[in-house]
Amino acid sequence: MTGDVERYLVVGALLFVLGALGFFTRRNLIVLMLSAEMMLHGVSLTLVTFSRMHHNLEGQAFTIFILTVATCEAGLALAVILALYQKSNSLDVELWTDLREADLPPPMAAEDAGQRPFVPPEPKTFPRLTPAGVVPDIRDEHDPDRVDDAASPTAESPLEPSKVEDVIKTAVR
Amino acid sequence: MTESAQKLVLWLIPLAPLVAAVMTAALGPKVLRERSHLPCWFGLAVSVVCSLLLLFSIGPQHFAEDSHSAPIATGYKWIEVGGIDVAVTLRADAMTSMMLAMVTTVSLLVAMFAAGYMHGDPGYPRFFAEVSLFVFSMCMLVLAANFLLLFVFWEGVGLCSYLLIGFWYRRPSASAAAVKAFVVNRIGDFGFLIGIFLIWTTFGSLNFADVLDRPERLVALAAAEPGRITMICLLLFLGAMGKSAQFPLHVWLPDAMEGPTPVSALIHAATMVTAGVYMVARCTPLFVYAPTALLVVSGIGAVTALIAALIALTQFDLKRVLAYSTVSQLGYMFMALGAGAAGPEVATLATTAAMFHLFTHAFFKALLFLAAGSVMHSMGDVIDMRRFGGLRRALPITHWTFLCGAAALAGVPLLAGFWSKDDILAVLSDASHDAAHRTYFYAIFGVAAFTALLTAFYTFRAYFLTFWGEERFPEEAGHHPHDAPSVMAWPLRVLAVCALLIGLAVGPTHWFASYLHHTFGLAEVESHGFHVPLLMASAMIALAGIGVAWLFYVRSPQLPGQIAAAIGPLYRASLNKFYFDEIYRAVLVTPLRTLSWLSYWFDRAIIDPTVDAVGKIPQGLSLLPRTLHNGLVPSYALVMWTGLILFVLFALGVIS
Amino acid sequence: MDWIGQHWLDWASLLLIAAGVLWLMPGAARRPKVVGVLLALAGTALLATRVDNFSSPIGESVLFWLFAAVAILSAVLMITNRNPVYSALWFAIVTLSTCGLFLLQFAPFLAAATVVIYAGAIVVTFVFVIMLAQQSGATMYDQRSRQPLAATIAAFVMLAAIVGVLQNVGESLRDSNPRPPRRTRPLEASSADVVANPLSGLAADEPLGKMHAIGRSLFGDYLFAVELAGTLLLVATIGAIAIAPRRRRGTL
Repeated sequence: MTGDVERYLVVGALLFVLGALGFFTRRNLIVLMLSAEMMLHGVSLTLVTFSRMHHNLEGQAFTIFILTVATCEAGLALAVILALYQKSNSLDVELWTDLREADLPPPMAAEDAGQRPFVPPEPKTFPRLTPAGVVPDIRDEHDPDRVDDAASPTAESPLEPSKVEDVIKTAVR
Repeated sequence: MTESAQKLVLWLIPLAPLVAAVMTAALGPKVLRERSHLPCWFGLAVSVVCSLLLLFSIGPQHFAEDSHSAPIATGYKWIEVGGIDVAVTLRADAMTSMMLAMVTTVSLLVAMFAAGYMHGDPGYPRFFAEVSLFVFSMCMLVLAANFLLLFVFWEGVGLCSYLLIGFWYRRPSASAAAVKAFVVNRIGDFGFLIGIFLIWTTFGSLNFADVLDRPERLVALAAAEPGRITMICLLLFLGAMGKSAQFPLHVWLPDAMEGPTPVSALIHAATMVTAGVYMVARCTPLFVYAPTALLVVSGIGAVTALIAALIALTQFDLKRVLAYSTVSQLGYMFMALGAGAAGPEVATLATTAAMFHLFTHAFFKALLFLAAGSVMHSMGDVIDMRRFGGLRRALPITHWTFLCGAAALAGVPLLAGFWSKDDILAVLSDASHDAAHRTYFYAIFGVAAFTALLTAFYTFRAYFLTFWGEERFPEEAGHHPHDAPSVMAWPLRVLAVCALLIGLAVGPTHWFASYLHHTFGLAEVESHGFHVPLLMASAMIALAGIGVAWLFYVRSPQLPGQIAAAIGPLYRASLNKFYFDEIYRAVLVTPLRTLSWLSYWFDRAIIDPTVDAVGKIPQGLSLLPRTLHNGLVPSYALVMWTGLILFVLFALGVIS
Repeated sequence: MDWIGQHWLDWASLLLIAAGVLWLMPGAARRPKVVGVLLALAGTALLATRVDNFSSPIGESVLFWLFAAVAILSAVLMITNRNPVYSALWFAIVTLSTCGLFLLQFAPFLAAATVVIYAGAIVVTFVFVIMLAQQSGATMYDQRSRQPLAATIAAFVMLAAIVGVLQNVGESLRDSNPRPPRRTRPLEASSADVVANPLSGLAADEPLGKMHAIGRSLFGDYLFAVELAGTLLLVATIGAIAIAPRRRRGTL
């Protein structure tokens, strides 16, 4: 076997293994599904390589079927994930362990079990700019009282930078 | 009758009561309610008509011709495994149709009586369903053409007996009696079953025709292995002992009186308990080659007849007197059957005599029980003869019919019991002419004669105690006891007429004997005339017994007390039924209970912990791997992946 | 053991990538990402020297290593990122790199189809779902990984097995055929191949990636499978609609 085929196979294997690794270690349902899709990528690459190796089209035809199945899988998995999210308001896969041995405790990470306290990371800070020009009037025409007066910019009290974000969020909402 | 019509009749006899039973069981509680007796009556009436048709269609055809072409109706193959080939086949010959006529007639009359007797009972539909089921089983038992089918319905009648003894199942004594009957019968059935196995290994077939109707084969077998036939016969007789309440398995029958009185009349006097006699009579062709077994049959019958008669002397419970009388009369029949030890000719006569007594006994014993039931009905379910007396004016119909039955049982000349009992005595005297067992049968004859005396005495003791003397009613009866209503009175009257006349009709005319001789497998023999001296002696014995009873209980009522005091221990032994129940309790029940308690302890203390310990091993082993089963899909995937790695490494030869 | 010793550089490269992945795994400790990325890149480069015999045209090799490195690095970052949105974006890059590798393998149609379906449909759907289901702020379950060490060991042992097989086979082929042909040549079609998929084979001089040939293969040899795949898509569509939760009227 020549190196130019082998190297494709190694890359395919790496993608496959890294996908599996993501599936094992991550707890977010969406990332789990992404990892599974990446495993399919590895397999597709391997198949295409085989197709080239044997100089026929069976591998490529099979890859098309993998694409189809991956699409179906993604659609169904996302529907299930949404349904689960509606139930638990969380994407944590560790919440769904009802099929375990009846008398075993649910498998929880050390933080969940309270052994190591979980400290949420610092919220990310972004560079802020002072407002330039005229702040647009974002008063609701139909419900003038809706906008908080304290938050609405006036000449007397120029906005704090953090307030600007709030205002913009309100407007977007 | 054409052959197909005969088959139809043959099938209708058992199936009509079965349909009635199913109908009553299905519709009784909700739809029929107080009319639940109607399907039963109708089904039984169909059976009676068919039985009589069969009776008269078999008779003339077979008197002259080959007696072995009995009508046979095969339903379907039931079991066909390896060498066992059992079909549900009905066959009817003279003995069968005679039994059928008796069973269905008595059943119909009892069912009519029961409609009055059981009126208002909450279990009314159940009663008639069970009675119909019983008649079905009994007819199938009689009609069965092979041993296995016979056994199945043997158990069937046992089941119905159990159900009906325990009819009032809320009463502890009734359910205990039902269990007792069932268990004691099991002992006999065990022997019966072993006997059937032995028949199969010996003859390779269970059909009556193959086993009983091959004289040349039986002769050869008897010459080669006499012990085996004797064994088979003894085991079959063990079954008969259970069903027909012979010593030492007789203890269940008196207790069976806990059931409703019509049941006692039908099952525990007239029909079911005679199944044992019928079975032994049916197997006479086999028994004649086992004289030893016949001697045992005769001896057991004699012991039973005597003991039961002695116990009956002192009982105060009217139904119990009749129950012991039944046991005693069944012993009589077995005595007669055992006389066949003297040779094939005597065996034919013996079978005839036994079946004749069975036939007549069914009518007058049913009559006696029904009359006793009528007394109970009037006396508010009191059956203790010490608590009532002088009922002959209050209950005239019951009185007269009871008198007819009592006279027939006692053997008053020209009545039913007289002829059949005389037949038995004649057979026994025939047997005692045989050189081999002369002394033995002399003794048996003596016991029979003495028992006849006792029978006449205790029957009329019960009669006088109940219907003569000062008029007394128990308080349960109310002030004006009423006689049987017509639905109960008419069966009594019909049975009374039967008790009076049926012996006269078929006995002295040799009608019965010449009819029954054409049962297959019985040796041809000329029925002989009457022993006039024997007849006279028999009549004298009966009258003497009645006279003593009259002397004791009407003329000078203080005499029995004095005699009882004079022979105190004997009297108490008789009153306490010779302590059979106590002996059984001490010898059998207590050790068995101890053994079962020991087994229970062994099971709980040794076997259970051992099994539990074995069960703990996999549980302990699984403690670690089961943590893998944590319900988390990625974790499962990791485990699967690990397995895959191991597999790949193995395939590569890295690990081996 | 000498089999392991012979290839210790392979194992070292895999070990480097594994160490990089482990370094990047989300956990309680915040580590600088660049160390992990460098480790993974170093491992990839080492691996490249081990598996490539540099006999291909230089242009193809450069493109291959570009796409491969991007794919591997993006994959590592995808599975280790603490933010699912970034994960989805890294996944899109993995997809694009893979498509580049497809192109190098004479599969232009597949490359196009994969871009359309994955990058165009699946990743977008994923991002939509993240938008619908994402909680505000960083969640604990994204900041922690389950059993990172055990899983990494398991995964890379498998990878080592695969690489070992490839090396072994390559070596045995090289031993038996010291001068391998530069270009892949079609294996001689046996009679069984002809019977099994007569329309999927190619003549020796026919180029690999023609859409005409793929269509012939799909709608000739795999017609039944294509029909089945169509049915599967329909069923999946119905299933997804049935499973997806109903929300209040007027919202998604």
